[in-house]
Amino acid sequence: MTKGLLTTSVGSFPKPSYLARARTQFARGQIDQDQLNQLASKATEHWIRVQEEIGLDILVDGEMYRGDMVTYFSEHMQGFKISGLVRSYGNRYYRKPIAVGPVSSNAEMTVDWWKHAQSLTDRPIKGMLTGPYTIADWSFNEHYPSREAFVMDLAAVVHNEAMALQKAGARYIQIDEPAISTRPDEMEMASRALGIVTDGLEAYTFTHICYGDFLAVYDQLVNLPVDNLDLEMSNSNYDLLDELEKRPTGKGLSMGVTDVHSHLVEDVEQIKKGIMRGLQVFPPDHLFIDPDCGLKTRTEEESIAKLRNMVSAVRQVKFEMGIE
Amino acid sequence: MITTVIGNYPKIGPGTRAPSLRGAIGQYDQGKITLEELHRIEDEVTKEVIQEQVDAGIDVVTDGQIRWDDGQTYIAQKINGFSINGLIRYFDSNTYYRHPIAESNLEWNEPILIRDYKFAQQHSSKPVKAVVTGPYTLAKLSQRGVYSDLKTMVMDVATALNKEALALQEAGAPIIQFDEPAIIMHRDELPLLKEASEAVTQGLTCKTEVCVYFRDVSGLVPGLYQLPFDVIGLDFAWGPANFDLLNGFPQDKELAIGLLDARNTHLEQVDEIVAAVRRVAEHVSLDRLHLSPSCGLDFLPRQNARQKLARLVEGAHAAQEALS
Repeated sequence: MTKGLLTTSVGSFPKPSYLARARTQFARGQIDQDQLNQLASKATEHWIRVQEEIGLDILVDGEMYRGDMVTYFSEHMQGFKISGLVRSYGNRYYRKPIAVGPVSSNAEMTVDWWKHAQSLTDRPIKGMLTGPYTIADWSFNEHYPSREAFVMDLAAVVHNEAMALQKAGARYIQIDEPAISTRPDEMEMASRALGIVTDGLEAYTFTHICYGDFLAVYDQLVNLPVDNLDLEMSNSNYDLLDELEKRPTGKGLSMGVTDVHSHLVEDVEQIKKGIMRGLQVFPPDHLFIDPDCGLKTRTEEESIAKLRNMVSAVRQVKFEMGIE
Repeated sequence: MITTVIGNYPKIGPGTRAPSLRGAIGQYDQGKITLEELHRIEDEVTKEVIQEQVDAGIDVVTDGQIRWDDGQTYIAQKINGFSINGLIRYFDSNTYYRHPIAESNLEWNEPILIRDYKFAQQHSSKPVKAVVTGPYTLAKLSQRGVYSDLKTMVMDVATALNKEALALQEAGAPIIQFDEPAIIMHRDELPLLKEASEAVTQGLTCKTEVCVYFRDVSGLVPGLYQLPFDVIGLDFAWGPANFDLLNGFPQDKELAIGLLDARNTHLEQVDEIVAAVRRVAEHVSLDRLHLSPSCGLDFLPRQNARQKLARLVEGAHAAQEALS
């Protein structure tokens, strides 16, 4: 029997309310880092048990210890400070990193959390990093004379972190680059930076990209230096599959099959249809199934329901198609 | 040379006397304060934001668009036919807006900005510029819905916004600015922008301005300069190529130089500002220049926005002294 259709997640899960509260208390100086870490650790274990129980193949730690996917890394590097509050939409605000000197890192940023998560389960835990282009694009820059210089310094830092994850035993490493498709004129530079990150890695590498006009940057997209492209698909009605069929990539695809911006839980039949379309273009061992994006903005109940239906759909397709 | 701003201003920040709008919206969402109380706080914040601009020495201010969630929905929600959909990325930024969709033919129904404009004018010792998202951009950043072709939709929006512009003129606006950044994404659609601009400015005798930011206007000139506006606003921070596109700038028009980067906390030096104005003044005389940030300041934390305004005024004075 052919093997494949591995299930995974894009990275983040919603934080339990006790952890959200603790993060606020930590920000106000009411609890210390150890107390916060203990609760993040408890939440990590909770999500690992949830993923095991649902039956996902490649697990993630859920990013319980991260606030924002860019801020977390900037806080653990030299060369950054944090801005005042900026608005992202509506009444949502966040603090943005500011590069004020050369960026570097003299300590591992995610490896201990990866080891902790891996110690809790026999299933593989995916190492999760934010890519250099996205860190630069979502930061202010008061130091570097050009965006490229900023991105390339970050690429070296993220590369070191990826190597450290691999050394710790990570077989799967994902480098998220959601910003990469927003500016076609910089895609070549962003791709070079990603190449620095993955250079010499033997782990299977993913990059997650969202929010872009994929067709406008298709050629550069499919040439990104990773093994697997993780793309949101369900919220665009799987339209990109037509192009992927016409112009095969040789890469693996992680296909987003549930919309993370909708409260609605897609039913199993709907997800199965998406997977079947994916199988017309990709062999099962090249096709991974996951949500469109991180689930952290959904509630725990919605996240679990979406993942459960996703795994059910994969199981049914595997059974019907004779995939192991 | 006149100093001015492009439109929005950070809604919250340290060192403010007005109540926190962020807190107030949160309380309103939880049902703890009424809509009237929320509006009263929006008014308080608006007054403070106007005063910050006046105190900084800005010659022509805006109301800061404190009540706007984003540049599209605040206007679209009051145009008959639009409904408001989910979040979507705003250009290449890491901010989002809600996606308007045309559920039926679009028509002006009621005043949209008139009350806000009058309020701002009453509370400003400096002239207040009215700012409207341009018809082409508002349509391009919306979903077409019932419209099978873009042109009909753009022209319906232009007709609706023309009624609004006439009402703003009636309310006493000495200058109305139309923001049309979407043209940088679709430079081949300049003829459509031209037609929409003619329709939206129909009957206006006050000063009019068009603003194109986020990129340079290569491929759009001289056509863009010939649009029926008295002032052309360009972004020289994210479009430095604009310095080389000023040959043949019409003698009877004014130019707004968007010079200070409103998307980065890096603070420009006074001598950089003087040098930039000197370059521009080779093509457009000083008395026809406006100096402004590159776009709305809402991409910045409030404290950085204040710094930018102070530096803008400082740079304008220095340039005036050096060049006249």
